[in-house]
Amino acid sequence: MVFTKLYFWISPILLGLLHTVFFGSVSNQRIGNEYSVPIVYQEKANLQQSISRGKDIYVDFCMQCHLANGKGDLITIPQLDGSDWLTKKRKLSIQSVKFGQNGPIMVNGKKFNNIMPPLGLSNQEVADVMNYIMNSWSNKQKKMVTVEEVAAVNKL
Amino acid sequence: MHKISPLLVFFFLLNCKAQDKPSLLPIAEEVINYKMEQVAKGINIPWGMAMLPDGTLLVTEKSGTLFQVKNGVNKEVKNVPKVYTRGQGGLLDIVLHPDYEKNAWIYMSFSSEDVEGEGGNTKIIRAKLVDGSLTEIQDLYKATPNTTGPNHFGSRIAFDKDGYLYFSIGERDKKFVNPQDIKIDGGKIYRLHDDGRIPADNPFVGQPGVKEAIFSYGHRNPQGLTKHPLTGLIWSHEHGPQGGDEINIIKKGANYGWPVITYGINYDGKIISEITEKEGMEQPLHYWLPSIAPCGMTFVTGDRYPDWKGHLLVGSLKFKYLELLKIKDDKVISRQKIAQDIGRLRNVIQGSDGYIYIAVEQKGIFRITPN
Repeated sequence: MVFTKLYFWISPILLGLLHTVFFGSVSNQRIGNEYSVPIVYQEKANLQQSISRGKDIYVDFCMQCHLANGKGDLITIPQLDGSDWLTKKRKLSIQSVKFGQNGPIMVNGKKFNNIMPPLGLSNQEVADVMNYIMNSWSNKQKKMVTVEEVAAVNKL
Repeated sequence: MHKISPLLVFFFLLNCKAQDKPSLLPIAEEVINYKMEQVAKGINIPWGMAMLPDGTLLVTEKSGTLFQVKNGVNKEVKNVPKVYTRGQGGLLDIVLHPDYEKNAWIYMSFSSEDVEGEGGNTKIIRAKLVDGSLTEIQDLYKATPNTTGPNHFGSRIAFDKDGYLYFSIGERDKKFVNPQDIKIDGGKIYRLHDDGRIPADNPFVGQPGVKEAIFSYGHRNPQGLTKHPLTGLIWSHEHGPQGGDEINIIKKGANYGWPVITYGINYDGKIISEITEKEGMEQPLHYWLPSIAPCGMTFVTGDRYPDWKGHLLVGSLKFKYLELLKIKDDKVISRQKIAQDIGRLRNVIQGSDGYIYIAVEQKGIFRITPN
């Protein structure tokens, strides 16, 4: 079912791309009219750009503790790779990156009690690093974190 | 591959490096002959601590608040400068002038957006505390340029036996740019007169284009700085990357090697440098492998802690304990845990009352009282 759905979205993109490659003069707008693809295509491109910016943020702010492989140390630093906290508590995850995290949390059945100081990131940077984390290692998250979504998250 | 390479490096260090290198001393378990008494609560990330002659503790909270702590009550000090709170930046160290009782100067470090350019960098000021408010604030040093890099502000402050002011500024995430270049700030330990003037005998004074306040260079992120009680020399420790945290005795004009030589590797397991020693670069007095993430340091003096007297205490952010390093002839001869599992230990000082105080993230301040 998922694959059918994916195929449904991917195939027009491929067709669209082929179309653009072979008929370079055809504008995106026109493909849009025919297949309703550009919005999805644009979102995907936005996500890729956000992930790419998020990688730099990750290296500067997160990697020292959560490590390059996103596995943390599993003693005081929880993993990000395969973290159920990240998938099940999307809003809390954004909140912790935006305002810091303090106190006990459960990640994949294990309790962690540590402090992550407020990072001082802009909303855009929070969105970018969330998108990087949510789409790295084994993580896959289709729903992109947007600046608007981050802006709407308030301090606990 | 990622899993193998750090191990390989570890064995490489073990096997290939000569025995005259600092040893990898194991740490002994805690022997509890003291109790921990909490003297302050409700300070989330206590960073710097100083004790006034009347026993009041001044405590900086990283996000920008300075507290006066007396009898378990925290009072916010007014007129604290605005700090740049990004990543490791914020309101950082606080130290009294050695002649505080005469001149009332208090020295502070923080990350600041001052001057120009996006971002921030480390700034040193001095001020007086009058009626719960900072007054007579004087700027002593501001590192340039500002950057949005979130790491390595350094920021520890200490005075030596002659009353010179020392402070550390980390390399601000620019390891291949800053630490080895004395014409730019970052990755350095600085020395000034107590009023901010540059001493005429600083090592690089008179050289064109250099930052004349620099006293030593080739540092990564020093967050421990203290005076040895007998020699009066300045000891420092600094965070390495993964592995390679170091203790050094700070010598005039010396190069401590980062990132040309290091006992550490990068957080992604990659090699930063193949070499751990080089002519013209100092070897550490001690290095930690794995890293303990050292923060804060003090020598123990006086008679309250006979077993610890003359030895060094260092906080560990990573392993959440206080480390006692016994020192003999400027060498580390043993290591022991104190206050095991207490929490991310950000700072340790010995108060003017002779007691050891530790600053612990999420918890506050504790006094260690011997039994």
